[in-house]
Amino acid sequence: MKHVIIGNGVAGLTAAETIRRMDPDSELTLISDETFLPYCRPMISHLLEGAVPAEKLPIRGKNVYAQNRIEPVLGARATTLDVDRRVVTTADGKTHAYDRLLLACGADPRQIDAQGRDLENIFFMRTVQQVRQMLAVLPEVGHALVLGGGLVGFKAAYSLLRRGIAVTMLIRSGYPLSMQVDETAGRMIQAVLQANGLTVRTGASVEAFEGNGRVRMAHLSDGTRVSCDMAVIGKGVFPAHGFVPADRIHTDAGILVDDNMQTSVSGVYAAGDIAEHMDIARQRSWVNAIWPEAVSQGRVAGMNMAGEIVSYRGSLSRNVIRVFDTDVMTAGRVSPRDIDETCRQFSARDLRRNIYRKLVFSDNILVGFAMINDIEQGGALTALIQSRRPVEVEPERLMEPGFNIGRLMAR
Amino acid sequence: MKQVIVHPERCVGCMQCMLACAAAHSKTGSLFTAIAETPKPRPRIHVGAGLYDEGFPNRCRHCDPAPCQMACLPGAIYRHSRTNTVLIDPDVCINCASCAMACPYGVIRYHADPLAPAGKTVAVKCDNCVARQHRGQIPACVEICKVGALTFEERDRAMKRRTEEVARSATADAAPPEQAPGFSLLHTVKKARTEINLAR
Amino acid sequence: MTHHHKTRTIAKDGQLLLQKMETDQVETVWDRHDAQQPQCGFCEMGVSCRICVMGPCRIDPFGEGPQQGVCGADADIIVARNLCRMIAAGAAAHSDHGRDLVDVLASVAENSAPGYEIRDTEKLCKVAAEYGIDTQGRQPAEVAGDLAYALQEEYGTRKKELSMAGRAPEKRRDLWRKLNIMPRGIDRETSEAMHRTHMGVDNGWQSLMLHSLRNALSDGWGGSMIATEVSDILFGTPKPTPTKVNTGVLKSDQVNVVVHGHNPVVSEMVMAAAQDPEMIQFAESRGAKGINLCGLCCTGNELLMRHGIPMAGNHLMTELVIATGAVDMMIVDYQCIMPSLGHVASCYHTEMISTSDKARFPGMQHMEFHPDNARKMAYDVVKRAVENYANRGSVYIPVESVDAVGGFSVEAVINALGGAPDPLLDALKAGKIRGAAGIVGCNNPKIKHDYGHVTLTKRLIENDILVLDTGCAAVANAKAGFKISDAISHAGPGLKEVCGSLGIPPVLHFGSCVDNVRILVLAAALADALGTDISDLPLAGAAPEWYSEKAVSIGAYVVASGIYTVLGPMPPIAGSMNVVDLLTRGLQGVVGATFAVEPDPEKAAGLIQSHIENQRGNLGLDVKNA
Repeated sequence: MKHVIIGNGVAGLTAAETIRRMDPDSELTLISDETFLPYCRPMISHLLEGAVPAEKLPIRGKNVYAQNRIEPVLGARATTLDVDRRVVTTADGKTHAYDRLLLACGADPRQIDAQGRDLENIFFMRTVQQVRQMLAVLPEVGHALVLGGGLVGFKAAYSLLRRGIAVTMLIRSGYPLSMQVDETAGRMIQAVLQANGLTVRTGASVEAFEGNGRVRMAHLSDGTRVSCDMAVIGKGVFPAHGFVPADRIHTDAGILVDDNMQTSVSGVYAAGDIAEHMDIARQRSWVNAIWPEAVSQGRVAGMNMAGEIVSYRGSLSRNVIRVFDTDVMTAGRVSPRDIDETCRQFSARDLRRNIYRKLVFSDNILVGFAMINDIEQGGALTALIQSRRPVEVEPERLMEPGFNIGRLMAR
Repeated sequence: MKQVIVHPERCVGCMQCMLACAAAHSKTGSLFTAIAETPKPRPRIHVGAGLYDEGFPNRCRHCDPAPCQMACLPGAIYRHSRTNTVLIDPDVCINCASCAMACPYGVIRYHADPLAPAGKTVAVKCDNCVARQHRGQIPACVEICKVGALTFEERDRAMKRRTEEVARSATADAAPPEQAPGFSLLHTVKKARTEINLAR
Repeated sequence: MTHHHKTRTIAKDGQLLLQKMETDQVETVWDRHDAQQPQCGFCEMGVSCRICVMGPCRIDPFGEGPQQGVCGADADIIVARNLCRMIAAGAAAHSDHGRDLVDVLASVAENSAPGYEIRDTEKLCKVAAEYGIDTQGRQPAEVAGDLAYALQEEYGTRKKELSMAGRAPEKRRDLWRKLNIMPRGIDRETSEAMHRTHMGVDNGWQSLMLHSLRNALSDGWGGSMIATEVSDILFGTPKPTPTKVNTGVLKSDQVNVVVHGHNPVVSEMVMAAAQDPEMIQFAESRGAKGINLCGLCCTGNELLMRHGIPMAGNHLMTELVIATGAVDMMIVDYQCIMPSLGHVASCYHTEMISTSDKARFPGMQHMEFHPDNARKMAYDVVKRAVENYANRGSVYIPVESVDAVGGFSVEAVINALGGAPDPLLDALKAGKIRGAAGIVGCNNPKIKHDYGHVTLTKRLIENDILVLDTGCAAVANAKAGFKISDAISHAGPGLKEVCGSLGIPPVLHFGSCVDNVRILVLAAALADALGTDISDLPLAGAAPEWYSEKAVSIGAYVVASGIYTVLGPMPPIAGSMNVVDLLTRGLQGVVGATFAVEPDPEKAAGLIQSHIENQRGNLGLDVKNA
């Protein structure tokens, strides 16, 4: 059996290790356009912040490929996939035949349409390489412009503020993290960042960058200008399935997979940021491009590829962020755009302890929450969403400072 | 392999396990001196209040596979196989709270710890008292619990005991004598009180 | 958390002020109660023992862990010792309060307490006669001197029986003698309780419980009774007086002075100073329209009973009242004063003054009152209150006050009945009034604030049971509007008819928590009139929201006096089913009454109703099936 895995992110690597554990004799090839050892993508913002050194990013040792008897094909981006001949072609023209293929190629950052986009010091923040380039120019940066108030923009802004750099953030919606939290939580987070030097501009986008080789100024859609010597584009990502034959492998936003992480083509699997499966909270097909789901999906895909038929239970969007002294945790449906009239919403705020809680129920099933501070019990709520177990106790009791899983167990 | 087994129905909420745990994970090892240490040692077992404000001892289950381990970004969480204990390496932990989001029991805390690098805030949770076990002692929380809410035994044995109790109560001719009538009475009162207070 | 206010209190002002304190980020007793959960089960069950340093010890209620303390005491002994000590502390508190009044009486006799005087010479002579003091042709001050001496002696008497126990019906006294629980010296019983509960002394749980009853009786028929009687002598025996209650009694345009605590010794002098025209003029010179004196808790009840001084709230309202921002000064003496108050006050402009050499509090200015300087001190503090008026920030008085009538001393009740208890007895016999219940005691964050008191009272008067109340219960019921004559609309037809014809409300405000003895005296008078014992009467007691050691002592003396008593919160006894059985069943055969524990006031009402009907049946009166 010859397994080919495209992508050495955590989904691909977990799948490879799973396959190797269960099927010691198969052949394993791992193709990736990145040349680094498999590393922890969510930690690249910690690298930018200076909280961790680069050598802490790899999630496995140097001999990970040898240990697992994986043939690495690095620095090579997959360009075509022939599902009939069962062959993957990479940019260097080489071909890789497979019996079973895993598409774990992740996602690419969304480009923006602005004049002067090709000036220096305008970055995406997706790979360790991009962050290293940012670090290289940081000494000459006094003011950074961050495009987007989503997770990436938010983390970039926080990391740069921690570096003592003045940051202006452009947000299209009214408050940061509008995809993840409700307005109250969003405003609380914004206030924390603003208290620490962030300038927030809402409702404006960049029309053009200006500079002499390097970016020096951004012209905004509202006619104003912002001077900056660095810009970070955080306008979201899209699954990198451009090379996949869409007429054969069904795709929506991501590549659609069944409960065994198999695509519509037998023998071809997908996992991680590229895959689209059932969202537990939304109860519909969804791409949840987050680390813990990539691990789970990689594991399930690997087991199925190795012949052990197991099911994936569905994904759940969730995030935890620490900004200065404020902690934010959110899962499932909390953003107003994810909530409809059938939802029951509960919120509570404790000004003295600076705590906020928001719970969203569909009937008596918890489908989302946001927490600001005292987030230790967030995992219990996450598990409650994932279980889809009806909640028998009063929703208010889940928001009390003393909440713990004991409250969910009737004696 | 002996493990700490929690019997929440027996917890009286005295929180003595929390004190014993904090002292066991201090530099000096004794409660009276531990409270003067910097950083202050903190408990890794948490007695919370249940639905009716009854005690609920909450402690790491050392799950296998462990969701916290799978969610850990820097790979700080690992399993100590001899004691089947999920441990956190404080040198590797980056205090990102990803494990807080993963832990279905809510037993991980974030603070400076006597056993972590000085001044560093890290994720801290139950380590099954591996150091005490190495010295031939049982975990501190079990040692101090006088009501049998925490026991250190083979899981199979605990399950067997539980099954026997259920079987006994099911087959007895008359209703079995209440094991702890006073404790049941206390629980009944607390339950009634909570329900009255919450009624609108 | 923002959603809590409605589950914490039924009082509208309480709910609104809780919301304000949430916004103001000020912690309350409920927040601290939440933070304490879970509370220690060993302690809740009474099976933890800290009495000696071979311990501390605890007993495993499940039977597998330790079943004896280091000394060998089992759960029964530990529970009994702990309960005995609670009662000793409660009895000590009431009795020491009484002692302070006796000291004032002695100083008045010596003419060394300027501002204090004998206001009720009739009662002075009556009580003096009980102590065998000659009153004929003597000056009140002389009689007062002898009485003060006799009362001081009562605390450490060498007599075999407390004199005031002589007020109990003869059958009851015989029973106490037979059981060897007749109270002797007031201090002696408390002292003996501490001795008995020392390691290695009394290890019979039954004998410990019996002594606990004796200790409690030394409070009810001793220390508390002295407190009430001497208060009446010094400040006047209460008569029905209109008043107003809840935080709406605070005035936005006047200097608000709030007295909090228990002993009228301080609050009466503060009232005199606050009502002095010169002081009022001083307040006007500072831009206020006057000085508004209000009460909290039992010292408030003392002023309300005698002078109709308005009442701002009960125990759980004491922090919330400060959050109005309208309290220019709070003056406290002792008992039930949360040490958090100074902190709460620091978030507003309120000046906090402590006055007793026995009671200090963080965040309060200590200005000590003694009989010889009390008048001067009162003027000093009220002057400071006026000066603090200028420092007010924003004021939030959330509700309008409610009308109430207070002042039902036994004398006032007998007077309302036309001079003798007969009309009440007739109404009882005729079944128009089924019986009477004393609803007393505190607030406790374990019980939704005022819900226990108000619900139980409502159910009882609906069922033609006359309610006499004191302490925090009395304030709760006044806020609920049960204390105006129109409140008979809440009463059953019989009670409505009787109260209507007498022009009294169906819920009678009997005073502060030491004034529970007024209920004992009335019960004794009814028993004497019927030639029977108190335990035969259709009476009951209830403490739906009690929290304090004083309340345990009250409950114990009420039961030992023969009145069935229902507690809301459970005392720490569940660790010993023997003690539970004794208190809830066994005592029936000993003192003719028991305790019951029922946290649900609806169910407590049912218990009281069936008890009263049962008592009626035993007396040969008609019985109604509930």
